[in-house]
Amino acid sequence: MFGKFKRLWKEPSWKSSYDVAIIGGGLHGLATAYFLARDHGIRNIAILEKRFIGFGGSGRNTAIVRANQRTAENLPLYQEGLKLWPVLTRELDFNLMFHQCGNLNLAHSEAAMNALRMQIASAQMLGVDIHLIDAHELKDLCPAVDISERPRYPIFGAMYHPPGGIIRHDALVWGLAKAASASGTDIFQETEATGIRVEHGKVTGLETSRGTIHAPRILLAAGGYSARLAWEMLRIPLPISVLTIQAMVTQPLKPVLSHVVSSGAYHVYANQTLKGEIATGAHMDPWPNFTTRTTAHYIKHQAEALSEILPCLRGVKFMRHWAGLADMTPDMAPIMEGNDPVEGLYMDCGWGYFGFKSAPVTGKYMARYIAEQRRPEILKAFALNRFCENRLLGETANPPGYGPWN
Amino acid sequence: MSFTIECPVCGKRNAYEFRYGEVDQGPRPSEEGLTPEQWCGYVYRRPNAGGVQKEWWCHRDGCGVWFTIRRNTLTNLQVHEPEA
Repeated sequence: MFGKFKRLWKEPSWKSSYDVAIIGGGLHGLATAYFLARDHGIRNIAILEKRFIGFGGSGRNTAIVRANQRTAENLPLYQEGLKLWPVLTRELDFNLMFHQCGNLNLAHSEAAMNALRMQIASAQMLGVDIHLIDAHELKDLCPAVDISERPRYPIFGAMYHPPGGIIRHDALVWGLAKAASASGTDIFQETEATGIRVEHGKVTGLETSRGTIHAPRILLAAGGYSARLAWEMLRIPLPISVLTIQAMVTQPLKPVLSHVVSSGAYHVYANQTLKGEIATGAHMDPWPNFTTRTTAHYIKHQAEALSEILPCLRGVKFMRHWAGLADMTPDMAPIMEGNDPVEGLYMDCGWGYFGFKSAPVTGKYMARYIAEQRRPEILKAFALNRFCENRLLGETANPPGYGPWN
Repeated sequence: MSFTIECPVCGKRNAYEFRYGEVDQGPRPSEEGLTPEQWCGYVYRRPNAGGVQKEWWCHRDGCGVWFTIRRNTLTNLQVHEPEA
């Protein structure tokens, strides 16, 4: 049963020159490397990770995947992302433990029900499987939810999105690292990118804690650290605020929660992992910082919110509590940009708390962007200059969205 | 991480009583000859440096006053030395 462990990815040897250098060994960087090799035959790639792969947001998220966003620009991306999971499980030959349990976004007023109706209509227009259910249908689907008049914000109904669910995030990191490494990508862990070399407005190389490498194209995909690196290495100020987002899990329980349940009014989401723990999160400390510290303030909030909508969880103990960084843009949509303001520099950042569910599909299109050096149609809305042109996306009006102020 | 902020009226209080009001961007730029790039820079773009920055806070759950402090984004603590 316990055979010899085999390494999933190769120990890389340092080369002085690469076709593409990727800053950040998280899901976005790994997925981009994987798709560069799979779709475009670019195999001479280096991934530079300051700590170890999956240390940042890739391992700190609550592993929820869904395509129930609000805007016509965002939806196609997440919709395609959702369809990629079964494909990737097969291609990576790695069990991603995709549990397609469905998402329920609760509405606590008639106004919230109307906001959900509009959001559902726009998602249905683009072919997303999503519909509105009333409180009794909700109770039938998910008996743990309290639909009585007792909670402070009684439940009126919910937005039901059956194809959503949860994925094992570590499995995705390891599966992508294994596949990227097999196709020729060198993954350097504990290697910090310290500077980007620019000559005549063009990227020429990357300075790292192990030495300098020559690379004509660099992808900045360092999650919560991207905005800081863009400023510290190239003095590019990005329209991003980096906030701490916290999550926690309870002790393991027998199956009690059948869906991913979330509530904007209570500012909480919860799902039961395949191990039986209730994974729950949503809170953001609304001041920028680069610590990943947790707060007692939030444990109290979470216990109060959870025991209101899921009273069966009263008395259950929290086991672990952690935090990660979310790089928030003013319109809650990402920034995917290339060759602006420096030729050869690509940025994939500003994902806030959408970075996990979008990772494989973003990797696919960022790989195309880098390979063809032309922006794919699906990424047009996410250009950096939308902030100058006053074309911000309307994702902040998403009713189940969790901005820093709610 | 939770920390304390010194309100000029109420003194040292829990940070959760305050509302963050963005990093200090200096005075609002004059509208004469203002380009969309400059306006976007003032409204949206931030340095996001790791270190001490000057920022605005409001004592939301207290006296309601707006004031500036210096805070280190790497430790999340209010400091009294000037920003780097």
